[in-house]
Amino acid sequence: MSQPYVLQLAAQRTQWLSSRDELIAANIANANTPDFQATDLRPFSAVLDSAQVSMVSTNPAHMTPSGDGFAEARVVESDGPETTLSGNSVDVENEMMKLGEVNRDYTMATNIKRVIHQMIMSALK
Amino acid sequence: MPDPLQATLRIAGSGLEAQSVRLRVISENIANAQSTGDTPGAEPYTRQTISFDSVLDRSLGVPLVRVKTIGRDDAPFKVEHDPGNPAADATGFVKTPNVDMLTELADMREANRAYEANLQVAKQSAELLGQTVSLLKDA
Repeated sequence: MSQPYVLQLAAQRTQWLSSRDELIAANIANANTPDFQATDLRPFSAVLDSAQVSMVSTNPAHMTPSGDGFAEARVVESDGPETTLSGNSVDVENEMMKLGEVNRDYTMATNIKRVIHQMIMSALK
Repeated sequence: MPDPLQATLRIAGSGLEAQSVRLRVISENIANAQSTGDTPGAEPYTRQTISFDSVLDRSLGVPLVRVKTIGRDDAPFKVEHDPGNPAADATGFVKTPNVDMLTELADMREANRAYEANLQVAKQSAELLGQTVSLLKDA
């Protein structure tokens, strides 16, 4: 049985959110590092639209690209509010807001997963 | 490629470590704000400065933060007239440290805020991991 589409989507969403969380953490940790440019992920919808098409390996020698699909979706926040004298473009308040956003969305995605599981279980029992 | 949320914990950890070293340097400056030399004309305590650097962690692919250098402030020493001081030179002037309390206190508050922000990140990623794990609970 293939996975329900909603579950697949929720899984991709949590993956994207945790990758974003990682970048936010890097921005906050480097809030006092000279010449550090803040980074963020491309929006989820944009990443989803440009869904990675996996190539068919017709030969055992073909290599499949590894790593998570979001690593290359990283963008530098060029429209950051201000860059300090030391060349740092991290805005801690903004990062904390993004952190809250990630927290809410992650909770939402895991709750959706839980509900879908419950629905499957109620169909099975 | 480790789990991004695990990586988040590592990044926040590196931030906490760097900020705590910064707090240590600030507290050394404050503690030594009155430390003069003990021989006539001797140099007093020199204010320490700290700067950070971001290093790419090859296994995580993210920039961790680390302390780059703990340097010395080149600002000139303050001079006070205090002939009774053991560090006073022939004319009775004593060199006192180039530590400005106000700057240090402001810096300390900023380091505090940065430490709290990193702590918040660590708490949050632990919470998110917990949420994922608890999906198994009612399965």
